[in-house]
Amino acid sequence: MMKLRVPLLDGPSTSAAADPCGLQSLGVGGALVDSFPLPPVQDLDSFEREVVEYVKPNHGTTTLGFIFQGGVIIAVDSRASQGSYISSQTVKKVIEINPYLLGTMAGGAADCQFWERNLGRQCRLYELSNGKRITVRGASKLLANTMFSYRGMGLSMGTMVAGWDEAGPGLYYVDSDGQRTKGQLFSVGSGSLYAYGVLDEGFKWDLSVEEAIELGQRSIYHATFRDAASGGTVSVYHVTQEGWTKVRGEDVGELHFKYYPQPERHPCNSVDPLAA
Amino acid sequence: MAASLPMRATVPAAGSGVKQHASWSPYDDNGGTVVAVAGDDYCVVAASTRMSTGYSILTRNKSKILTFNPKCLIASAGMQADMETLHKVLHSRHVTYQFNHRRPMGCQAMAQLLSNTLYHKRFFPYYTFNLCAGLDEQGRGAVYTYDAIGSYERVGYGCQGSGKELIQPVLDNQLKAASPLVLPAQQWLSSLPLEQAVDLVKGAFVSAGERDIYTGDDVEILILTKDGIRTDKLELKRD
Amino acid sequence: MLPRPQSHSAALGPGCTGPSLANPTPLGLEPRPVRHASQAPACGAEAFVVDPVALANGQPRKHTQYPYVTGTSVLGITYKDGVLLASDTLGAYGSTKRYKAFERLRKVNDACVVGASGELSDFQFIMRLLEELSDDDFCMDDGHRLKPAEVHSYLTRVLYNRRNKMDPLWNSIVVGGFYAGKPFLGTVGMIGTSYTDAHLATGFGNHLARPLMREKHRPDMSEEEATALMHECLKVCYYRDKNSINRFQLAKVTADGVSVSEPFALETKWGYKLFQDPAANAVGTW
Repeated sequence: MMKLRVPLLDGPSTSAAADPCGLQSLGVGGALVDSFPLPPVQDLDSFEREVVEYVKPNHGTTTLGFIFQGGVIIAVDSRASQGSYISSQTVKKVIEINPYLLGTMAGGAADCQFWERNLGRQCRLYELSNGKRITVRGASKLLANTMFSYRGMGLSMGTMVAGWDEAGPGLYYVDSDGQRTKGQLFSVGSGSLYAYGVLDEGFKWDLSVEEAIELGQRSIYHATFRDAASGGTVSVYHVTQEGWTKVRGEDVGELHFKYYPQPERHPCNSVDPLAA
Repeated sequence: MAASLPMRATVPAAGSGVKQHASWSPYDDNGGTVVAVAGDDYCVVAASTRMSTGYSILTRNKSKILTFNPKCLIASAGMQADMETLHKVLHSRHVTYQFNHRRPMGCQAMAQLLSNTLYHKRFFPYYTFNLCAGLDEQGRGAVYTYDAIGSYERVGYGCQGSGKELIQPVLDNQLKAASPLVLPAQQWLSSLPLEQAVDLVKGAFVSAGERDIYTGDDVEILILTKDGIRTDKLELKRD
Repeated sequence: MLPRPQSHSAALGPGCTGPSLANPTPLGLEPRPVRHASQAPACGAEAFVVDPVALANGQPRKHTQYPYVTGTSVLGITYKDGVLLASDTLGAYGSTKRYKAFERLRKVNDACVVGASGELSDFQFIMRLLEELSDDDFCMDDGHRLKPAEVHSYLTRVLYNRRNKMDPLWNSIVVGGFYAGKPFLGTVGMIGTSYTDAHLATGFGNHLARPLMREKHRPDMSEEEATALMHECLKVCYYRDKNSINRFQLAKVTADGVSVSEPFALETKWGYKLFQDPAANAVGTW
């Protein structure tokens, strides 16, 4: 029978001796995951660095999230790059953990996708054994614990866990170093500085829902404008007491003409005033 | 004494310090390009059959496609030894799945399994670049693209391997539809007639063969429809 | 999943003799303790297990970091009735022609031969693994033997597993065989890269002999034609590969079985104008 041995997902393997032939780790027997086999090298650090250089996993992002009077807004771009090659313009960087919880994706795409899917499983198990939904605080702690147990092994993940629980809206930043921070406003990824600029300038607690959505979208748009590793489409999610809804999905190209109906008047394109 | 070898072997020499000998790396790039295009009721998958190392061609006839069942297959480029191993693992998992479930694995399930299998080797990755392709539950074409460590995404068409920089832009130009992320949702699958899609793929491979040294010899083309799999072969230049 | 034995040879495991092979009992399937002395393998696969303890603490384990005694190219072609493999008989120590009668083509069974280039001690170890498999087949006495494709697949797994352990077997191996009326010719590299083709060459041979094969090889060649082509390829390799000697072996696999020839020399001609004046077309050399 196929057997799911999930506790092994909760931490890195310590025994390489258990399966010296590597038969089980190949998944040949049908066991799902035994543990992540480590390369038998002395210097794991530099091996992982060289491997990342060699296989070039998907990378790069701008994501943001903030809490305001009307709930939580999450906004992301959709570009993934492998080195200088744009490997996708349609990445789904908001991971829908359950109807009340969202995770965002920055850093290594595979690390985020895999561990947030794993987080979804852990949250579901929590629901089944406790008869109630997990809090945002609890969910983010589960993820941070996992990340801490893999600390120093080369995972790359910068995520925001956002949602709604009995305490109201919740927003946490969790990354692959094991850091976990509660906050009201975050932006993560290579374009985050650009997003912060717009976001900080426009943020007020009293923003209406429509204004908040607009602010999120505008911040990501401006980040894609200046950050080469961000682009594609801007997606905006809104989390309320009723759970999350996706409220916007718009191509960056379209947004450019929405924000700058006359592109030639854009400061980047206008003629040199001194030349005239 | 030199620290032990991660990717490159360094051996302490008799005299002074550390001398760099012939190095050994567990990885090699054997090249090759794979393409898949999904349509309303078909899926076209193509893979070049050249296998190289450095500037040498090892063989002109190595298949990169593993067909699980008439509705699901994977195509992989990259390092041949890792590809072969990955294919063996997935094949075995597919056989076990059929024993347990009394039906072949669907494309969506295989896509997730491939992702998990790749991520399982997160710290010592398979150097393979994969596409999982087939027909979904509704009979529509399905293509999933991956990076080497298992992040994946369903797309309307995809290209992986040494010729991806050459072929992907051509496919984008001919097939690009609205992003599946836009709201309100729009049609994002290509709606090209089958024969045109096959011609597009063939044309793309002929062009890639002109400019990529790792793409050439033959192209193996599989056409998946509700009636089963049809195969086609395109001969490229052998230079 | 039932735990699998560490070795393919259950017959050699403790407490398991003949009958357990035919009728595997849980006892026969129990994993046997791993002994970490790869220089003295009890049997089979266990021997290529790297001691994880040695990796974990203190001094690095000394993997093969550099080949010492090496063999150069092995060539292989298919023809109408079977397969031909060829190589010279040199075991070189660096550029020293150290062992001049090392037989690098070896019979596995009546349907299969292997030839190896690269580190020759690793090749001897690989041959021991194959001999154990053949011995098992012999003990079973049911007429079964490994098919060439199975030997090829097995060697691919062995070499790939060793590269996964960062402890490669430093070889490129060619497997030639004849089964079910069809010739088989495959190769495996030191990181597990494997493929089959109508003609093959490892190492330098891939640059020197392969172009000749691509030009002249046909699958319906007669044995005479194939032998002539092989001689030509060997000669070209010998002219240009300094780590080779004029002492070759030719292995033949057909429906009638395997034959590995006695070592022979080929007639060479060094009177070519360019050989006598190698700098003629290279202005500036001396």
